[in-house]
Amino acid sequence: MSADLLTAEIGSELARETGDPCRPEDLRRYAEASGDLNPLHLDRDFAHAAGFDDLIVHGMLNMARMGRLLTSRYESAQLSSFTTRFEGVLLVGQPSVLTMQLVARTDAAAEIEILMCTLDGRRIASGRATIRLAV
Amino acid sequence: MALDRSRIGYCLPAFTVTVEPAALAAFAEAIGDPDPACREIAPPTFMKVLEGQDNSSRRIMEALGADLKRILHAEQQFEYVAPIRAGMKVSVARCVADIYDRREGQLEFALIETTFADEEAGVLGRSRQLVLVRNPPRSDEA
Repeated sequence: MSADLLTAEIGSELARETGDPCRPEDLRRYAEASGDLNPLHLDRDFAHAAGFDDLIVHGMLNMARMGRLLTSRYESAQLSSFTTRFEGVLLVGQPSVLTMQLVARTDAAAEIEILMCTLDGRRIASGRATIRLAV
Repeated sequence: MALDRSRIGYCLPAFTVTVEPAALAAFAEAIGDPDPACREIAPPTFMKVLEGQDNSSRRIMEALGADLKRILHAEQQFEYVAPIRAGMKVSVARCVADIYDRREGQLEFALIETTFADEEAGVLGRSRQLVLVRNPPRSDEA
């Protein structure tokens, strides 16, 4: 399943997909499934009062979607680490672009960069994942 | 400075969470995961759900004296040792690993480390959450 990691050139793009916009009901569903009931994600008046134009998507939901792109390509058991820095805000209704790039490789592991950006290129989150190659 | 530095090293009492298959399925669905395998093995960010049980995140923030309106999740790390599976009883141990500041105290960071373990399988993974507290400029405090 990780054959591309063994052959791809360092710096090459491994995957790219459009992230569908989240609807308020998607945030509600994530809030209930995750237990993160912060009103920034659920209550428009609260989000406005906090200075946002609309409900903001949970950072951990963004990271989960980045993780889903990873596990759609590689086995969960191969994943050794996954780190994400939350750099910007994604609002409900905003689509995103997710990309994965191979940034380093040793005999034992491959290092992947995963980015989530808005369509106009603003960075929402940047991640790094280590995939075990040797079992 | 808002965060209580004496809390570096503070740990909550460990608690145990059972990975309910229905909770795993609901989470997989909420993140748009069409892969049914994820209903057996937890998705990569599911540790965050486990560690948030028992109202523990709020309790840590209260122990630190953090103003909940000023905190942001700046960074999240996960380390995977063995897959977390449906039905497992996972013990969750959370500690305040570090507190530091930048820009003369306007930005404060708290690093919360969590270890996940199963009685039989041992350590399953670790989570490190970096929380950012945006303090008001000093002139506001005068």
